[in-house]
Amino acid sequence: MKIRPYLFSLLALGIALIMSLAIGSVFLSPAQLWNTLIGHGTQVSNAILWDIRLPRTVLIALTGMALGGSGAAYQGLFRNPLADPFLIGVASGAGLGAVVAMSIQWPYSFWGLMAIPMAAFAAGLLTIFIVYSLARVGKTIPTTNLILAGVAFSSFATSLTSLLMLRSTDDMRRALGWLLGGATQSGWTAVLAIVPYLIIGLGILTFSGHALNLLQFGDDQAQQLGLNVTRTKTILLIAASLATAAAVAFSGIIGFIGLIVPHVMRLWFGADYRRLIRLSIIGGAAALILSDVVARVVIAPQEIPVGIVTALVGAPFFLWVLRRAKNQGYW
Amino acid sequence: MLRKIFVLTLLTVLLFGCAPINKSTNAATIVTVDDGLGRTVKLSGPARRIVSMAPSNTEILFAIGAGSQVVGRDEFSDYPAQAKSLPSIGGSMGNYSNEQIVALKPDLVLAAEINTPDQVKSLEALGLTVYYLKNPTTLEEMYKNLEIVAQLTGHESDAEDLITSLKVRVAAVDAKLANVTNKPIVFYEVDATDPNKPYTYGPGTFGDALITEAGGVNFSDAAGITDQYPQVSLEQIVKTNPQIIILGDSAYGATSDAVKARAGWGTIDAVKNGMIFPFDDNLISRPGPRLVDGLEQLAKLLHPELFQ
Repeated sequence: MKIRPYLFSLLALGIALIMSLAIGSVFLSPAQLWNTLIGHGTQVSNAILWDIRLPRTVLIALTGMALGGSGAAYQGLFRNPLADPFLIGVASGAGLGAVVAMSIQWPYSFWGLMAIPMAAFAAGLLTIFIVYSLARVGKTIPTTNLILAGVAFSSFATSLTSLLMLRSTDDMRRALGWLLGGATQSGWTAVLAIVPYLIIGLGILTFSGHALNLLQFGDDQAQQLGLNVTRTKTILLIAASLATAAAVAFSGIIGFIGLIVPHVMRLWFGADYRRLIRLSIIGGAAALILSDVVARVVIAPQEIPVGIVTALVGAPFFLWVLRRAKNQGYW
Repeated sequence: MLRKIFVLTLLTVLLFGCAPINKSTNAATIVTVDDGLGRTVKLSGPARRIVSMAPSNTEILFAIGAGSQVVGRDEFSDYPAQAKSLPSIGGSMGNYSNEQIVALKPDLVLAAEINTPDQVKSLEALGLTVYYLKNPTTLEEMYKNLEIVAQLTGHESDAEDLITSLKVRVAAVDAKLANVTNKPIVFYEVDATDPNKPYTYGPGTFGDALITEAGGVNFSDAAGITDQYPQVSLEQIVKTNPQIIILGDSAYGATSDAVKARAGWGTIDAVKNGMIFPFDDNLISRPGPRLVDGLEQLAKLLHPELFQ
């Protein structure tokens, strides 16, 4: 039986979306859900479904799309199975920016509340720029340089973050909560703020499958095949980083999704990047929504940071997929 | 006929009897208070369905007699015991369930400094009335917080009585300690997961203020530390040589015997003389009325001879 990859992944995403709307710390029966959906909800069920669950689900879905898509792009770009969207420092840079912003008492206003995500976003992009500049040799960007510069700079930023958190007089839970991932702001503001960056970033990635396929032959070969390697790499880096930084700014650092989703898609549906990127975008959304559902219910009404769930549930799942893989040389 | 007149009279009396009362209570009970984020919070009357987002808030609400108006509490609110039977809205790692809060239909959500402005905003966006109670840094500010919560909940006179009794108790402690000259150096252990680098209270915390008020010298002051929650080296403790060690982490298993068994702690006076005491950290980490209990208990530990 031939499984249609897009049908399958969209179906999974659909189920995840429905679960995310149906399941939460407050139980709504199917009848209540239906009534609320068709506009006959009570004040409470309306607020829960439309004002709490829906915007959160959308934000989480967008974050998952960004992480899955950039993860696949990074793996192709670096030709490295260990690459994830955070490999060259978006997350640690953004984390540093967020924690610095948290150490300041902002006024209670729209811009005061936006200060932390904006600082995270700016610092994430700045990190990529610094790493890129450091790794550049003449007119080329050797992949190894990029990875090493990224990893070294990440470690530097992470230690600075830890140092700041230890020195902070405030409660560290806010910073810790952010670093472990999970939507901090509810409502539609966050969704509206990240959508433009995701459209640009993921839009470019969606149509970069052919270029990524060529890059798999190595920089020299790709160049000979007519690809402007440096320019392509730069554009892909910017696109993936833009999407990741925007997602991370509001949702915190959610690990594992960007690493695992592209691998699962590759194991199931093959390594053609034209398909892999798009499937990873859809699959990232589905996987992160499902993780968030688990995070919401496992010790309800408490919630655990979604970043914990992604690895806690994701790792065994991935190992199961890996174990069952028939094609051992899939990479 | 008589019955009709009676009913009519009754209705009239009821109508006029109620109207002025309703009017005056409405006018008198519109509550407008500025909160810790500089927001102006308006209530159309004393709050009747309150969700508390912090243990200190829960303790304040119950202490001023507003316990029966509380309909939900955060996961860590465990005092008084009645609070534990209320539905929880979460709160571990700063994660609260907005769904649960909305479902409780509160007319007031009482937030505290452990809550972030983001959380206040998200509750506000759901159409809820949120009051953000700033942490006090002195007992006087704590009394002010009691008055604010009393105003929000319609328990002004209960709060005045409570504040008076708290002030009397504090004055009694102060009077007993008035002539104290021997002020022991006190090391208050907040967390000693790493016994070579325990955490303690520094200046600007109630831990520091209450030890001072209880007739002691807080370790951080003696050692010249300025951080609020410093992590200090064992070397520094040995050098400063506290006469008393208070185990605020006793709820997490720290015991006097365990401290004595720690490598390197044997040279400290408090350990040599067995002056190590377990303590309920909630009495000084939660900025509510039980701070006064904390002061009394600390004073008794530091100067037992004066509290026979």
